[in-house]
Amino acid sequence: MTISDSELVLRVTSSNDQVAFQQLVERHQAAIRGFLRRLAAGDCGTADDLAQETFLMAYRKLHTFKSSGSLLSWLHTIAYRQFLQHTRKHARQQVMAEPPDQGHDPRQSMDSEILAQRLLGFVSPEERACLTLAYSAGMSHPEIGKVTGFPLGTVKSHIQRGKQKLQRWLKDHDHSISKHKEAHGA
Amino acid sequence: MPESPLDRELGQLLAYHDEPDSSEFVANVMHDVKRERLLRRVILWGFGLVGALFGLAGAAMLSDSITRLFTFSISLPAIETAQVALVVVAAAAFYSWFMNDEMSLGS
Repeated sequence: MTISDSELVLRVTSSNDQVAFQQLVERHQAAIRGFLRRLAAGDCGTADDLAQETFLMAYRKLHTFKSSGSLLSWLHTIAYRQFLQHTRKHARQQVMAEPPDQGHDPRQSMDSEILAQRLLGFVSPEERACLTLAYSAGMSHPEIGKVTGFPLGTVKSHIQRGKQKLQRWLKDHDHSISKHKEAHGA
Repeated sequence: MPESPLDRELGQLLAYHDEPDSSEFVANVMHDVKRERLLRRVILWGFGLVGALFGLAGAAMLSDSITRLFTFSISLPAIETAQVALVVVAAAAFYSWFMNDEMSLGS
């Protein structure tokens, strides 16, 4: 029997149940690390450090979590804020904003995950966050608005602009998923 | 949400393709959590100890007055007695509320 997130949260907040918190981390770590890896454009070390900070912050603030909402959305919100804080601190290093070479075709010798990470390098960090939440995490536009703090209209325009950029790239490179899979024998 | 062919293609392209290894990551997070709990415990007990020391010092300085109070050798007006009782109860309530988290941490 799977214990719900709300039940696990209750156990952590009421009796500091570490096993319950560990279960929450195990359950959601893949989504949060995946999200941050996309935001960090494939910088896995930075993404995992931020994910670790995200879960530690969640542990500190778990008593403020409202059980009416989704824990995963709440964790994404913390992760996004951690990412923004990190980019502000390391603005000069341009960890995530490094634009890829326009003439470079990221399909060459890459698996699907790296291709996705590189592709997202063609869009702005805000567009990247919105596209990842929409297409990778499967969130609705209002949910994305809650996570990122953007108004609904801004979320929609970020997604639209990001889609146009990716569509342009796909068109320019005559790319399709089936071709990519064929090329890699997937 | 994805509807158009482009949406479907992006949905496939941007899906999380890798499941990162969880064991080391989870162990690191839980290590940080344990360190955090230890730090909180040290801070709570440290400040609790400082408070207790100041309380003892204060009690020692006022020991004569306190003795006289509890042996009823001085008589306080009813309103002042009520105020003293209220302060003691409030202090006890605050202490148990403040230390409640630490008590549950220790269990």
